[in-house]
Amino acid sequence: MENNKISILILDDEPIVSKRLKPSLEKKGYLVETFTESEAALKRVKEKKFDIVITDLKMEGLSGMEFLTEVKKLYPDTEVIVITGFATMDTAKESFQKGIFDFLAKPFKLGEITAVIQRAEEKIRNNSQS
Amino acid sequence: MLHGETGGMFDKAINWAKNLVNSSGRSSASGLSFINTFARFREILAINNQSLELIADANDKLSGEYIFDTHYIETTCIKISSLVEKLIYALDEMAPGKYLALHDAFNRIHYDIEDILAGRQPRSENRLIIPYSDINRDMGDEVGGKNATLAQVGNFMGIRIPDGFAATAVAFARYMEQDRLGEKIKQITDSWENDEIDSATASSRIQPLILAAKIPTDLRAEISAAAAAIKKRQGKKKIFFAVRSSAWGEDSEHSFAGQYSSILNVPASKLGEAYKKVIASAYSASALEYRRRIGYTEKEVIMPVGFQQMLNPMCSGVLYTYDPVAPAKEVMIATSTWGLGAPVVSGTAAVDEFYMEREPPHKVVQTKITAKLQALVQAENGGTKVIDIPENRQMISSLTKEQLSELADTGLLIEKNFRKPQDIEFGFTHEGELTILQTRPLALKSFNAPSASELAAIKDRYKVIKEHCGTTAQDGIATGPVHIIHSDDDLKNFPPGAILVTKFASPKLASVLHMAAAVITEVGSVTGHLATVAREYRVPALFNCENITTTLREGQEITLDAEEPAIYEGVVKELKYYALSEEEIGETYEYRLLRRVLKKIEPLNLVDPTEKNFRPEACQTLHDIIRFVHEKAVQTIVDQGYYHPHDPDTAAGKLKLGVPMDLVVIDIGGGLAEDIETGKKAIIKPEQVRSVPMKALIQGIINPKAWTNEPVPVDMGSFMSSLTRTFSAEITSPRELGQNLAVISLEYANVSLRLGYHFTMIDTYISDNMNDNYAYFRFFGGVTDDARRARRARFIGAVLSHYDFRIDLHGDLVVARLKKLDKEAMLKRVYLLGLLIGVTRQLDVRMVNEQRVKEYTQNLIELLEDGYGKQQN
Repeated sequence: MENNKISILILDDEPIVSKRLKPSLEKKGYLVETFTESEAALKRVKEKKFDIVITDLKMEGLSGMEFLTEVKKLYPDTEVIVITGFATMDTAKESFQKGIFDFLAKPFKLGEITAVIQRAEEKIRNNSQS
Repeated sequence: MLHGETGGMFDKAINWAKNLVNSSGRSSASGLSFINTFARFREILAINNQSLELIADANDKLSGEYIFDTHYIETTCIKISSLVEKLIYALDEMAPGKYLALHDAFNRIHYDIEDILAGRQPRSENRLIIPYSDINRDMGDEVGGKNATLAQVGNFMGIRIPDGFAATAVAFARYMEQDRLGEKIKQITDSWENDEIDSATASSRIQPLILAAKIPTDLRAEISAAAAAIKKRQGKKKIFFAVRSSAWGEDSEHSFAGQYSSILNVPASKLGEAYKKVIASAYSASALEYRRRIGYTEKEVIMPVGFQQMLNPMCSGVLYTYDPVAPAKEVMIATSTWGLGAPVVSGTAAVDEFYMEREPPHKVVQTKITAKLQALVQAENGGTKVIDIPENRQMISSLTKEQLSELADTGLLIEKNFRKPQDIEFGFTHEGELTILQTRPLALKSFNAPSASELAAIKDRYKVIKEHCGTTAQDGIATGPVHIIHSDDDLKNFPPGAILVTKFASPKLASVLHMAAAVITEVGSVTGHLATVAREYRVPALFNCENITTTLREGQEITLDAEEPAIYEGVVKELKYYALSEEEIGETYEYRLLRRVLKKIEPLNLVDPTEKNFRPEACQTLHDIIRFVHEKAVQTIVDQGYYHPHDPDTAAGKLKLGVPMDLVVIDIGGGLAEDIETGKKAIIKPEQVRSVPMKALIQGIINPKAWTNEPVPVDMGSFMSSLTRTFSAEITSPRELGQNLAVISLEYANVSLRLGYHFTMIDTYISDNMNDNYAYFRFFGGVTDDARRARRARFIGAVLSHYDFRIDLHGDLVVARLKKLDKEAMLKRVYLLGLLIGVTRQLDVRMVNEQRVKEYTQNLIELLEDGYGKQQN
């Protein structure tokens, strides 16, 4: 957390996702960085720890599943939220096994992801106090 | 509906009916039995509903409330398309070979959707010329941004624009193919791009080629025809046009201002020449230089052209809705002069200057009147000329106070609709009528708009009136004075720019929505009619915000952030400027794509089955096909089961109910008494019905109170029109009676009713086994305005949810589902559906106000509780 603000990284190869989410989350007081390529996101994650990572699963190159595996390896307490347009029981199961915080099938409402982020934030703040 | 939860049950019902038919001794059918036809029919009903719900959901995505991507758009299109294809196949199984033309209609629409998804011009949209009245903001690729935005202003904001038409990008491509013109130009621009020749040389070689090329014959003919149509419409002997560029990228962040030509006052006979000149202007030396400077490639040069009826203005000018160098001053700037506006735009003439407050009543804070010695005006036989202004008019203000105020209001309206500060060209006719000639986004300098992250703390600085209340029907930020609507009268003289606050999201409000800064209601559906219109106009809309009509005061200044959602006291400057500077999400590629594909899916053009155009060839959208298939499926069932029965498994006849409603009944097993006569002439009495759910339904339908105990209609005109439309359809076409159909068995009933313009569908299975029981009810349509139909839908929803139905409202479509109640409870509820059929028949005409919704709900519940037991006994 920087200045007590929660930092969020968003990775989705469709730019519209970040374009819509970024200002909306910034307005709510989060620090947001967005990426459309998984390699670039991974590079950034290696430089900087994010409190919350939101990632798509299906992408060119490094897949979302591989990316989130790397993230959890580097920072076990970073909360990962998966967003995907190809939601299946199997991918959901695999994601949860890797320790993600929640899983949202696209399309979803802004309010839905905000609620998930708020729950993640609560968990992070509780952990940092204890 | 019939899929999913009740799908399995349906199979059970059918199998059960089949067994019963076999065991009852009626021999099984050969060929496509009625049972099989009916199975296809049920499949059609199920898919019909599934596809309509997918379409409504897709429209909801445009609200800005969802995160969706192109993957969603593609998969949704595939889903809807494949459902519609299934519908066509199912109908073909019911009526083999009869509606083959549906395949062509489907392919035509489906290919268009594929083209749009692939970023291509839809192959059916190859028009060379499109009248302004058929153009909207999303057609920028086809007609160019300037034409598209101007037409949007005229067609959707109720603002006057010149009559006109556009020569499309397709027309440009055709012109470039002629005599290999495009290839020749490319050779020259290639060597210019390689610095082998300079811009002046390139231009001097390209422009004569364009001017010498022949306009394709069909394009020339279509231009003449479009001009002649305007001449006729305007009742003019002679007509002149302004021919204006509307190139791709013009009006984008690169304004291309002044790069391309406009040719003024062109007589109808010389439009072809003017068209060539405008296209040639794309290759002026300065245009080539400009494109090189901003990195715009030559491939991207595509030039649709606008042809606008020439305005003969008293004065013309330009309005900026903000001061571009000092936006925080909150003023608008108008400049104007006598005659035509070209000198104002090019900055070559002496002009009057006015600074006015953005806030109504737009007080003029600074005026500069300049001596206007000359004016540019139309020459009699075409072209323009400069005339001297008499001395006594030189120092007179070219705009009156009233004109300035009207101009400012109009400017704000346009700005509100495009959600960006605007640079607007206008003219006032000699009769004093304001006409908008062009509008485009205005770039603001030194605009200290806050970033999104700076907005996080505004709740500490401003008073929040309400937050986290309601559901967002359309995203966005708006500021303005509250205007509370209590009755329809309040809609008259709606103050432009006000925030509309009212109890119900009634479709009636649509008539003022283009003027409202935002709309907030206490009740409303995000898939309802008003939500759709709010998304079309992109007016921020917040529904289901409790007690808002009493929380807010008339005239109170507020700021609505529909995304949050939150309502603030006063004007929250940070939010306001943020909204103006933020990239408009509705203009992103994905939103435009979704809107474009929905145009091929959503609109319903085939409404009345008795009309001539109710045929496959006339289907323009997938919704049209869905509607057509549904209508023909019902007809086929009635044909096969009643008019031309050939299946010994079924019995059929006309049910005599004693109320003004004819109903064809087809029994697929045990639904009717064994001893009845069947066939075309057979009349069935209610007591001969054995079907358990049908009996309950009939008792409800024939309850005389459901038909007679209503107060006298207040609005006789509307009532009569409902009556005549209902009855005339029945009288002129007795076959239409057959549209009321019940397919029944001992424990099952499927009822399709078309009473006048209402469509009702009931599907229910009731037995002693509670777990198998279900009832499904769907209702939509009507003859009156959307507001009353929506009220009626709310009434039905209120009654049915009171009796445990799960309700989905999509505008005037009501879907109600119920399952797994015991037999007695199910029968009571199906009886209620019967009552509803009687009550709702003309109910929409009586739904003149919201009070009626409550009254009728209460009345009907009483009717049920009083009448049910008694009638049973």
